Amino acid sequence: MIELFLSQLLNGLVIGSVYALIALGFSLVFGVANLINFAQGALLMLGAFFAFTLIQWGLPIVVAGLLSIAATAAVGMLVERLALRPLRNAPAIAPLLSTLALAVIADAGAELIWSAESQPFPSPLQSFVVFVGGAFLTGVDIATFLVALAVMGGLMLFLSRSWTGRALRATAQDPEAAAQMGIDVALMRQVAFGLAGALGALAGILVAMYYQSVFPQMGVPFGIKGFAAALLGGLASIPGAVLGGFLLGIFENLASGYVGEGSRDLIAYSLLLLVLMVRPQGLLGTGRLEALGGVAGASGAIPTTSIIASLGGATARTRNRVLQPKPWMVLAVIALAALVPAIGSAYVVQVAAGCAVFAMLALSLTLLSGSAGVISIGHAALFGFGAYVCAILARNHGWPPAAILPAAAFGTAAMAALATLPAIRLTGHAVALATLAVGQVGYLLFLNWIELTRGPMGIAGIPRGSLFGLSMQPLDRQYWLALGLLALCYLVAHRLLESPIGRTWRAIREDRPAAHAAGVPVLRYLVLVAATSGLIAGLAGAQFAWLQAFVSPDSFLLETSIVLIAMVVLGGMGNIAGAVLAGVLLALLPEALRAFDEWRMIVYGLVLLALLRFRPQGLGGVK
Amino acid sequence: MTAALALKGVTRRFGGLVATDDVSFTVPGGQLLAIVGPNGAGKSTLVQLITGFVRPDAGHIRLGAREITRLAPEAISALGVARSFQTSRIFPGLTVMESVLVGTQVALIGGGRQPPAFGGPKPPAFGVLAEAAAVLFGLPRYAARRRALEARAAATLQLFGDRLWPRRDQPAFSLSYANRRRLEIARALVAEPDLLLLDEPTAGMNPTETGELAELIAQLHAARPALTIVMIEHKLQVVRQLATRVIVMNHGSVLVDATPAAALADPRVVTAYLGRAATSHAHG
Repeated sequence: MIELFLSQLLNGLVIGSVYALIALGFSLVFGVANLINFAQGALLMLGAFFAFTLIQWGLPIVVAGLLSIAATAAVGMLVERLALRPLRNAPAIAPLLSTLALAVIADAGAELIWSAESQPFPSPLQSFVVFVGGAFLTGVDIATFLVALAVMGGLMLFLSRSWTGRALRATAQDPEAAAQMGIDVALMRQVAFGLAGALGALAGILVAMYYQSVFPQMGVPFGIKGFAAALLGGLASIPGAVLGGFLLGIFENLASGYVGEGSRDLIAYSLLLLVLMVRPQGLLGTGRLEALGGVAGASGAIPTTSIIASLGGATARTRNRVLQPKPWMVLAVIALAALVPAIGSAYVVQVAAGCAVFAMLALSLTLLSGSAGVISIGHAALFGFGAYVCAILARNHGWPPAAILPAAAFGTAAMAALATLPAIRLTGHAVALATLAVGQVGYLLFLNWIELTRGPMGIAGIPRGSLFGLSMQPLDRQYWLALGLLALCYLVAHRLLESPIGRTWRAIREDRPAAHAAGVPVLRYLVLVAATSGLIAGLAGAQFAWLQAFVSPDSFLLETSIVLIAMVVLGGMGNIAGAVLAGVLLALLPEALRAFDEWRMIVYGLVLLALLRFRPQGLGGVK
Repeated sequence: MTAALALKGVTRRFGGLVATDDVSFTVPGGQLLAIVGPNGAGKSTLVQLITGFVRPDAGHIRLGAREITRLAPEAISALGVARSFQTSRIFPGLTVMESVLVGTQVALIGGGRQPPAFGGPKPPAFGVLAEAAAVLFGLPRYAARRRALEARAAATLQLFGDRLWPRRDQPAFSLSYANRRRLEIARALVAEPDLLLLDEPTAGMNPTETGELAELIAQLHAARPALTIVMIEHKLQVVRQLATRVIVMNHGSVLVDATPAAALADPRVVTAYLGRAATSHAHG
């Protein structure tokens, strides 16, 4: 018994030291640039792959590691150049989502270059084993721990003793005062990103040695755990990042030792959500998270998270031409679309029905992220919830569509209200982080709750049943049902947005403290918008399950959430007509790119990046 | 009679800095109190404390007979406390009219108290689902209440002459600095508060605009004798013109609490503002 405890404790210390390195990268960037860098996980993955390639070329592992760290530091600086510097006066979400877009491009690019499969990574010290009490440590464990400790110590010395380190800390505390003292603040931001890249690469190499493999998807889970560690300690706190890393590592290993290995990630993400709910400033942190206003937030004349106000002063009115058709026009277009089966093949109808589902999803997310300003990177989990409700009720319990539709809609609405609670006390970038964790928890549940979801095999043969005495088996009828649901959801969303409820959502987005001061029960309206968004996502999920007659966790990956974000930005945040249009356009994209399927996510990433840079108001304009 | 607002031993520290140190005072209903003092004296912290944005480390704050020390900002607001911020917070992406209407939301759903000015008994409240249903199905009771509050918002905007009303459909961020301050005050007034807290309402205004706003506050004070106003103000001219009482703060404590004339002439006040050397110089 004590052996298990000791061994999990030691393992926790080792992996925790890696988490601490990742967390330090986040903390440095967050401190200096006030930005949660979603590309941190991608930097880790790239660092591991660079080292992998150099070792394949015959370089010794230490040389390959050092070269990889230098190269990844350069990539980190490139992230700053692409995602932060050009967007300093852009809406606060622009740099955040840009790092997300870069991460997507890096992940998909790595799959193109190195293949999506896991590949063996050499781990020369693995056979060297030391026994400590009843537990044992391998040479890799010891090397990992010692290297990580040495780097942490070196970094602390660098930050406290060197001129550059002090300049970095000064920039983190007050960029304007630092600039007046002659510090090149832009350079310091770049240095922070470079250091984050170097730390990420080192962590990546250590992880690759620890698990003896490299694969393109490794960035996401380690990225999130790095966040979790940084947040646990207190985001802007360097000692906090180290403490958070060790605590997370130990906690996660004890949990996987006593509860089961499958629960490792689930428990790590749940811990992240718990911290966000109970103590969002972390163990050693300050209340700074609450003051998050993005890169330009601190110095702006109007303290706000408004995307409209940051479009650029008086020109914003002319630049932000808002597409807002009358509802009957949208209904007329949907009615016209109903004629597709008369002219198109079954393939065309299938694609069109998919477009209707994604239009609903974009509509659903633009209410939450666009109108109410709760940036969600976990929306796929709600979509999946609706799909699984439909699949399980239809296949295992024989429910008819007339019962499944309300069950999926209201079930997902309740789920969404519940899942948004951790994010509700947070603002800005921390919300994005919380929703990312919620999305991953959802995905892991779909994957691991095998008795209910059949795990990775998915649920096949979902019966379409009959509605009002009509068999829903024919594809055309499924398509018409999808269009009908889209029309209904559009009308509901339009009605709510044009009412005092929609005005209150936008007020909360524009300035939450002022909304509190004006007596608005903010929690009530955030729960309402989450529930409405969940209701629509649940209907979309149910429709998706019937259309495919099959659901599996693969449809509800992080990728799906990111595609939805791209749709919302393309449509214009908070613009429902724009969202429907963008949902259709981006759902068509994979069909147009069918021959280049592996390029799909890269194209989505580039679309998102270009939009944020050149047209943050999207096609339809921000509303 | 209980005071409209009472602070007792209110202390708040930020790290090593004591922002307010054992502050106690009471404000009778209908008073127009000005709080002055040098930068960093703790004036804005006081407003943050009263409105629930910052919680005191020690002490009690009462609104009438009601203890509000640990209430959330929206709960305090719903009890009839409205405020403006030092940096105008006006919901930049909303139109001017919408920005004011945000201040009526709590009345629309029947939360909080019924302001006497609204007349009649408090209407029944709309729960969250009831409100959504009212919107979706066009419930007449909700629509009527909405129209009444829109009329009230229009009347409030018209208090500011042609400064805000002609611009009601423009986005709030397009307003000038002075108009943003007016808009914030309009949003505070539309809720018909019993206690109005203004944090430097004339900051950044030129003398004409300052005079205009002072005149507006004077009119308000005359027209609504029950309304208690607490304003932080740097412009001593405005303080002399408006206030019936002045509290001078320094280093987080109440230095002087007197009539405007007496407070502003107090040598301790001159010292707090200008330092000792200047005082001895001034005294010759």
